[in-house]
Amino acid sequence: MNLMTFSKYLPYIFEGSLWSLGLVLGGLGIGFAIGVTFSLVQVYGNPLLRRLISFYVWFFRGTPLIVQLFLFHWSIFPALGINSTALTTSITVLGLRSGAYQSQIFRGAIGSIEENQMLAARALGMSNWDAISSIILPQALRIAIPQISNEYSVILKDSAICFILGIMELMTRAKYAAIATGIALIPYLIAGLIYLVLTYIGTMFFNLIYLKKRIPDSVEG
Amino acid sequence: MVKDLYKRYGDKAVLRGVSFEVEKGKVKVIMGPSGTGKTTLLKCIDMLVKPDSGKIWLEDLELTDPRIDVSEARRKIGFVFQEFNLFHHLTAIKNVMIGLTKVKKLPRGEARAIAERSLLKVHIDRELWDKYPAQLSGGQKQRVAIARALAMEPMIMLYDEPTSALDPQLTREVLEVIKELAEDGMTSLIVTHEVGFASEVADEIMIMIDGRIVERGDPRSIIYDPRREETRKFFNKIMKIGDELR
Repeated sequence: MNLMTFSKYLPYIFEGSLWSLGLVLGGLGIGFAIGVTFSLVQVYGNPLLRRLISFYVWFFRGTPLIVQLFLFHWSIFPALGINSTALTTSITVLGLRSGAYQSQIFRGAIGSIEENQMLAARALGMSNWDAISSIILPQALRIAIPQISNEYSVILKDSAICFILGIMELMTRAKYAAIATGIALIPYLIAGLIYLVLTYIGTMFFNLIYLKKRIPDSVEG
Repeated sequence: MVKDLYKRYGDKAVLRGVSFEVEKGKVKVIMGPSGTGKTTLLKCIDMLVKPDSGKIWLEDLELTDPRIDVSEARRKIGFVFQEFNLFHHLTAIKNVMIGLTKVKKLPRGEARAIAERSLLKVHIDRELWDKYPAQLSGGQKQRVAIARALAMEPMIMLYDEPTSALDPQLTREVLEVIKELAEDGMTSLIVTHEVGFASEVADEIMIMIDGRIVERGDPRSIIYDPRREETRKFFNKIMKIGDELR
């Protein structure tokens, strides 16, 4: 009997996975933009900017997501006079946090490219920016794909924590369904399964890009 | 033309007053023991390494003038590296095209036509054009690298030990290409240990030891009748190694 009432909640829970996916794609996208930019500054930028970014990375990697969410939602955004909804806060914080991690991924990838690639680009007469954008970055991005895939799976699971701000994502809906029906096992099991499936699909997707973009017969790329 | 070039790394003086000139259409070869500043010298000429003092001219343009746009000037100098340094993520033909599209801002079609011509000139046939560097042999890589530099229509080509990373068989195909280009009138400055090649191709050989050019002259007199003891020693040494290899 309870199971019958519960089945009405299935579409409700599934809809939550769209919200979760929105959080993840938003966070991953913002994180990508921040990550690429900051990694370039960390490798090629001036010492002051590099220090600032090190501080940024240190903060976002060194504090729990839940602390960051509360800090931004209840303190930093209000203090700045920004009227942020739970959704925009969540995406922003996920993005800022992922940016810290991604900047280190790209920094490592850039560092793994031989210096001679840059030298050869300059010898052709390329400006630094041309060399970075058409020689260094295309190689670094390829090298980083497996780690970005990993970052996706991390941020997907992190997104569940955004339920704390009341976002109607997967975890929140599973919890509401559990309360409404009095069944705890099935909604959480379904939520868990959906996370597994989303992780699987996402990593498959990145793997596909990786194989497609791989440089033929190369060892590392 | 290079005048009074000096360069130190820390407390090691690598270049200690180097001066010479490569006249248009001429081929000059620099030889000398390893670690005597030959690579540094070439990198200084392309302003990839900043000399501490001294001046470098490319015809009327002073490269060492701090007011000039160095990247702009580098287009006019072709640089061929010992380790080829092809761009790993680009196919052979795209390696040659990228300087044309990014630096010279040529449209793709035109860039491709020039790239094709350059590749054919270094005997890289059509079936290799879409291969990635990792799919080419060392000799093929170096010839693509030469084509990449050549496509920019440089005023001078600098070769930094272009065959030291290659085995003897592949060495020959690369040297053959460099020689053909030189015979076509390409102004060239070549650092090499290949004595036979140097004697065939060079208008003048300069011997560099400890950051100085100690002796220079036409190949015959430099190789077979050097005036200085250190030059004699150097040639004895590399010829002996050559004999052993044979």
